[in-house]
Amino acid sequence: MESISLEKLLGIAGAIFSVHEDELDCEGCDAEMPHLAEIIEAGEDPKKLLPAVVAHLEICHDCREEFEALLAVIRAEHSGAVLDAAHGAE
Amino acid sequence: MAQRSNEQWLDDLTREDDPLRQSEALADLTRRLQRGIFYYLSRERSDMTSRSYGELEQMAEDFAQEATLRVLKNLHSFRGDSLFTTWATKVAVRVAISELRRARYKDFSLEALTGDGEVMPDLSDSFGTERPVGPERSAEQQDVIGKIEQAIQEALTERQRAALVAVGLQGVPLEVVAERMDTNRNALYKLLHDARSKLKATLEHDGISMEYVLKLFERS
Repeated sequence: MESISLEKLLGIAGAIFSVHEDELDCEGCDAEMPHLAEIIEAGEDPKKLLPAVVAHLEICHDCREEFEALLAVIRAEHSGAVLDAAHGAE
Repeated sequence: MAQRSNEQWLDDLTREDDPLRQSEALADLTRRLQRGIFYYLSRERSDMTSRSYGELEQMAEDFAQEATLRVLKNLHSFRGDSLFTTWATKVAVRVAISELRRARYKDFSLEALTGDGEVMPDLSDSFGTERPVGPERSAEQQDVIGKIEQAIQEALTERQRAALVAVGLQGVPLEVVAERMDTNRNALYKLLHDARSKLKATLEHDGISMEYVLKLFERS
């Protein structure tokens, strides 16, 4: 099999050693994502307000990809970039 | 597009006694989700740059229709701790990303990854070209990698090992691996959580900590 990168090796070591008994799962993280996105948009500290969600996002690539997409769309809605993109397509 | 409060969205979307009001709210929601998804596909996804605007518009329309149905089906789970539109956008983003993952990994086979009985990528070559180190340190690094490999091979069940290799080492999305394993993403996350707990206990028993690993492999 092909070899993996040092970054990935350290990533998996990080995932192993950061494991916690009471970790939030994907369903729990999914339910908190809208709140977290608005907390970040309001300039508040997510680690202080939703530490378990932030910890899950650091471990779970699927949830992180979805959260980053949500944040990007919400920011684009606020800045008008969503409408600009829609008009560009017309 | 009408501006609505959370209560108005919920009220309008469920007004079966006022079909006109309900259909206007549905159309507004779908349009809003479609625009958000189109923005995401056209501006945020580097793997979509070869697609035409027409193709992206069609994808956004399909995903928005599906997302609208899912929003309606799951209205009861909206907790009200965010804007309704933020919550609905989260649903839409997940629909879009799930479909893109499915398409990207449509030929992925867990059996191909584990079929030859050799599920572990070669960890021993994983850093050789990235950072040359002295022979003593190199031997120590090989020893730690050997212990990590051994722990993955011996402490985990076959199912845990296959999931860990696919998700943790090969970077395959949880959602895709869960589908191939006939389970769901949340159950797979829990399976991996148990695997990580076992590996942590095994490695700590061998005197290996995260601090030690980071120090041993730190880039200078």
